[in-house]
Amino acid sequence: MAGRTMIERLRDPSEKSLGVLLLAPAFLLLLLIVVYPIATLIFNSFFDMRLSGGSGGFKFVGVENYLLVLKDPDFWNATGNTVLITLVTVPGALVVGLGLALLANLPFKRQWPVRLALLLPWALPLAFAGLIFAWFFHTEYGVVNDVVRRVWPGSEPTMWLLRPNWAFAAICLTIVWKTSSFMALILLAGLQMIPKSLYEAAEVDGASRWQQFWQITIPMLMPSIIVALIFRTITALQTFDIPYTMTKGGPGNATETLAMLIHKTTIDYLDVGYGSTLAVFMFLLSLVVTGVYLKRIGRNA
Amino acid sequence: MKRLKLLPALALIAGLAVSIGTTSAYAQTTLRVFSGGANQRPDLMRKLFDQYQAANPGVKIEIETGGATSELQRQYLSTVLNAKDSAIDIYMIDIVNPAQYFGAGWLEPLNAYVGSPADAMKPYLPVYLQSNVVDGKVAAMPGFADAMFMYYRKDLLEKYKIAEPKTWDELAAASKKIQAGEGNPNLQGLSIQGAPIEGAVCTFLLPYWSQGKEFNDASGKLTLDKAAAVKGLNQWLSMVDAGVIKRNVAEVKTPDTVNEFKAGQVIFAINWGFAWDRFRMDKDSTVQGKVGVMPLPAMAGGKSATCVGGWQWAVSAFSKNKAEAAKLVKFMATPATSKFLAVEGSLLPTIQSVYVDADVVKSVPRFKDAANVVIAGRAARCPGLRAGQRRGPDDDERRARAHQEARRGRG
Repeated sequence: MAGRTMIERLRDPSEKSLGVLLLAPAFLLLLLIVVYPIATLIFNSFFDMRLSGGSGGFKFVGVENYLLVLKDPDFWNATGNTVLITLVTVPGALVVGLGLALLANLPFKRQWPVRLALLLPWALPLAFAGLIFAWFFHTEYGVVNDVVRRVWPGSEPTMWLLRPNWAFAAICLTIVWKTSSFMALILLAGLQMIPKSLYEAAEVDGASRWQQFWQITIPMLMPSIIVALIFRTITALQTFDIPYTMTKGGPGNATETLAMLIHKTTIDYLDVGYGSTLAVFMFLLSLVVTGVYLKRIGRNA
Repeated sequence: MKRLKLLPALALIAGLAVSIGTTSAYAQTTLRVFSGGANQRPDLMRKLFDQYQAANPGVKIEIETGGATSELQRQYLSTVLNAKDSAIDIYMIDIVNPAQYFGAGWLEPLNAYVGSPADAMKPYLPVYLQSNVVDGKVAAMPGFADAMFMYYRKDLLEKYKIAEPKTWDELAAASKKIQAGEGNPNLQGLSIQGAPIEGAVCTFLLPYWSQGKEFNDASGKLTLDKAAAVKGLNQWLSMVDAGVIKRNVAEVKTPDTVNEFKAGQVIFAINWGFAWDRFRMDKDSTVQGKVGVMPLPAMAGGKSATCVGGWQWAVSAFSKNKAEAAKLVKFMATPATSKFLAVEGSLLPTIQSVYVDADVVKSVPRFKDAANVVIAGRAARCPGLRAGQRRGPDDDERRARAHQEARRGRG
């Protein structure tokens, strides 16, 4: 065995080296597109990298950026907005998505129009959805105020996107509309895996539809619900496109999310070090939330 | 974040492929120029580049265009320049950007090619010494100018026998008189842009400057007089409260003002130079022949000042053909180029003498009057962050935000 050449070994690899060989491309790819950017991000977060002016752009400052972030009211405002958007839109999308999935699961004669209606909002780019809804809520040209004017003639039009609370509500509504179809698709797949025999048995036992829903559908659907919630929560924490296109974070910074603050700090202010530190905080937030979910799944299993 | 990191890498690969392909095939200098969006008239720039190519056979110029607004272009350029991309040699940039980009080390100082700042900027309007010279270095050369003008409905002012208002208060009074007389609830007194866009910076600065206050000193340092800034904003807000400016002004963007003025819903409108042709020539304009231009009003006791915009040519610090690029930039900043752009595209000249040039006056008569407006103009600039300062309260986004915040919960 010891006398085998390199080529022979490559031609007839052992189980172990074959495994290494086959995994290497995926491993290298992950290293390149996941580990490298994150490592760079964390590295940059310890530097003063204000590209425009002053310090010359590259100076080690230790944890100074981290301390500044913790004292930064903009950071806390953006984090608060991000968490609030997550708390409102994730359950919102779950409830609406479940309704849509149940609807699509009904025995329609033709399935495709329903499925298509489910797919369309999901296939629409986020920025489009934001721009479309921004038009809906425009004070003068928007369809929302047009309806209001027809129902209550002579009323002062509400400036939806210029009032902090209304703007926040409008953004949440848009996100729920946009993301509930994704929820519905995952839940629909889960619904179709529930055996019909369970419902038939329940029927025989005299269970009502309501009881069937809570005793059969929901427990059987739980794995799908958890998967959908994890995906949705992580994307909710990264919310950027819809508030950016609808309000640009305004009025003031009432609807600015963490991802928008990072973008602004890095691209507009050219403060790469501080932007990286903010991004590390967002990374940690995602990590914690995902960890909590994964732990719950482990307990359920 | 991943997407943001990938883009420059892709751009770099594409750029490398282009530069390798072209240099080996032609053995001549290829200059790649970022030439702004459609509003910056890449078609006319192409014509100028063709002229330059004909006179300089060793040079080939490629053109690249970008987003429609200054903000979109900045997002792209920040990404490309942050990646130290050498594929693009020359950038056309908004007047607010030279200081910030130069501070970041992205732009090549042009002193070696165009001479000292004082000499290089001598032929141009005074505003360029302030906006294109950073720390004693020439960061960019003027391409063409733009400025905010006060357009008004000549016919309505004549009908009510009102003279051109000299102060904002006079303008408000004139508007109220005409609004009451016309009895049209949709008629706005004054249309300004309050949406969070680049132009809103000017909206914020106009009443501030018109008190005789400065925003930057000669070295680019922020010299904001807070009391004057509040007074300026309150001028706008009082006009909102009085019904002269419409309530949802924080939703108004540049094209909204143009379209509403064209539809006859506005008495006074502040907008950029291009709007003039839209009002006079567009088929759907209901105000053809009824439009006048006047100097911007001032605060009582102050003096009129406008916001100068426009576009600059800068050489990338990462270019591999800096000398050739600087030569082209010099050509794009000559009086002949400025005249060509004025005659062919009604783009405002950067040089005072071009405004009164016989050919220019013949094809765009209004430029004769515009000269005075532009000479008195100022420019906002992103000064970049100073040493010891963490994040700039002087960033224009923040200015726009302060602007909006003042409006929060009002009107």
